Amino acid sequence: MIQMQSVSKVFRTDVVETHALRDLTLKVEAGEFVAITGHSGSGKTTFLNVAGLLEEFNGGRYTFDGQDVSRLTDNQRSRIRNEKIGFIFQGFNLIPDLNMYHNVEAPLHYRGMPGPERHRRITAALDRVGLSTRTKHIPSQLSGGQQQRAAIARAICGDPRVILADEPTGNLDTTMSNQIMELLLQINAAGTTILMVTHNPELAQRAHRQLHIVDGKIDQIHHFRPLQSPQVVASHAL
Amino acid sequence: MLIHDLRLALRSLRRNPFLSALMIGAIAVGIAASMIAITLYHARSGHPIPWKSDKLFAVTLDTRDDEPPQSFERHPEYPPFQLTYRDARALYASTIPAHAVMMYRSAQVVTPPPNKSAKPFGVSTRVTTADFFTMFDVPFTYGTGWSRAEDEAPGADVVLSKFMNQKLFGGANSIGREVVLDGRPYRVVGVLAAWMPRPKYYDLNNSGGIDVPEDIFIPFGWMRTGKLMSHGNTNCVSRRAKIEGFDSLLTQDCVWLQYWAEFRNGADRDRFQVFVDNYANAEREHGRFPRKNNNRVVDVQAWLGMYDVIGDDSRMQLVLGFVFLGVCVLNTLGLMLAKFLSAAPISGLRRALGARRIDIIRQHLIEVIVVGLLGGAVGMTLTLGGLAFLKVLMFSSMLAHSDNPDRVALVQSLVHMDIPVMAAAIMLSLLTGVLAGLYPAYRIGRLAPATFLKTQ
Repeated sequence: MIQMQSVSKVFRTDVVETHALRDLTLKVEAGEFVAITGHSGSGKTTFLNVAGLLEEFNGGRYTFDGQDVSRLTDNQRSRIRNEKIGFIFQGFNLIPDLNMYHNVEAPLHYRGMPGPERHRRITAALDRVGLSTRTKHIPSQLSGGQQQRAAIARAICGDPRVILADEPTGNLDTTMSNQIMELLLQINAAGTTILMVTHNPELAQRAHRQLHIVDGKIDQIHHFRPLQSPQVVASHAL
Repeated sequence: MLIHDLRLALRSLRRNPFLSALMIGAIAVGIAASMIAITLYHARSGHPIPWKSDKLFAVTLDTRDDEPPQSFERHPEYPPFQLTYRDARALYASTIPAHAVMMYRSAQVVTPPPNKSAKPFGVSTRVTTADFFTMFDVPFTYGTGWSRAEDEAPGADVVLSKFMNQKLFGGANSIGREVVLDGRPYRVVGVLAAWMPRPKYYDLNNSGGIDVPEDIFIPFGWMRTGKLMSHGNTNCVSRRAKIEGFDSLLTQDCVWLQYWAEFRNGADRDRFQVFVDNYANAEREHGRFPRKNNNRVVDVQAWLGMYDVIGDDSRMQLVLGFVFLGVCVLNTLGLMLAKFLSAAPISGLRRALGARRIDIIRQHLIEVIVVGLLGGAVGMTLTLGGLAFLKVLMFSSMLAHSDNPDRVALVQSLVHMDIPVMAAAIMLSLLTGVLAGLYPAYRIGRLAPATFLKTQ
């Protein structure tokens, strides 16, 4: 699903050059749940941004869902983000003056999806995360956990191939964190590939694999449980 | 998608009402300043009789001495805008024009009909040859003008304006009724319908173009019999000339008559120009016309241009209006940039969710168009208020002591936003919004989507 070969990313200013990713090589299979850990400034978020086509990279080769993304136009990258990638952020990143329904609806608009189909997907996604009774609420009227569940609904409503989660439980207490993790595991069990940046080792151990990043390189890889075969993943999805 | 973007724009404006109000206010003030200037300019720049633009011509002769006593400093290259009696009569003898008019502005005292208790009152009159009504397409409610024969052997006929007929006869059909002017009875042969050429092109010398037509029209033939003095501008173009009573007007080199001709085609116009130049050449042999030929036969638009009806004031107001609008656009641009950048994290998020750059730019452009249109709506209200204020400020003296509703209508028309000006205001609002918002929208669309995601 995701294949990076010696990918590097350098941030340059007039006076300083920061190597955020150094020859990063990685392969993530479809249906895999990968936890990414590392200290602050190790390059986790940069990795996720590059993986999510939010930032371009300076060197190496990156293939997403079988497609070399290094030569894509900005519009093509936007389309892939819209159709194949779902994002979950630590700060939830909901649009403050939109209610839950319209927050979840946002990515579907950019796909040009007809209204009835949008409504069906939004209702299903909010129902799946347990927020079907909160559709009219704006973010400030919900708890942190509810907001993050709304962000998850937004991420899954477009039926993406991959979800990229940047510390999705970072702003939540333990109980909420576990609920969100359960939700992500259910989504993964249904066949969606998940890459999750986390500082929480307990949550990381519930993934199939944990990649530990140090100074922009993968330093360690821990395998916690095997990835099910595609056929099994497909049956979960059904 | 447009409706979606429109909803987002309205939400965005509500999110920061103070900043939104500032932007709308800045555009509104700029639109109002420029629209007031455009309205005043537009009122003076119209073509009063476009359907005859290739047929009607004002005629001027350069009869000036080398050092005329009157100054023509503003445009010394132009001949005087009026003719002497002698020259007008000579040109009037030509049969080349289909119609020709020589005329001047005068004034008389009207004695009201016996059944009216009003006191005698002064009126402005136009002493003119018969073709005036045909040539300038003057509409009649009752009757017609007089015959051309009366320009030489005058019958005691007059034509009343709509206002004067209302004042003297209550608006009734007054054909055949009597009007006493300066103690002499005249018979009404025609009553005009509402008629107000703007500018009053047929006599720019006495009004600058901003005036209503005269109250009563008198046959030119009465000029000598009645010794009807000119109450318009009279300029002597020769050092030897001197005005001493009515009779000297007819003999001295002083210009006081307006002269117009209507031609069937361009060839006739050219023939008439030759005729005029030949006349000047012949007169030169008798010691007149010391200068080289500078005689002009000009159409209405050129005539208005020669007289500079629009005026430097109107042009300066227009320039200042647009400069002010430019300043407002720059201010709005700064406010929009600040507003858009403050909401950049949301744009970054939308990019992450799949919005293309063009989606973000379009969304913000729709917002600036909404701001522009709202600014335009407020600006139009300010414009109407500003024009009402100007009406009091600039034209109160023109309206003072006047019971002529045409004069009120004229002033109203000068400060009136008509459909083309309103359409221009809407277009200008859109343009202003887009100009002010194009760069901020472009800037926000170019931001990398990841830039603000952490801080959202």
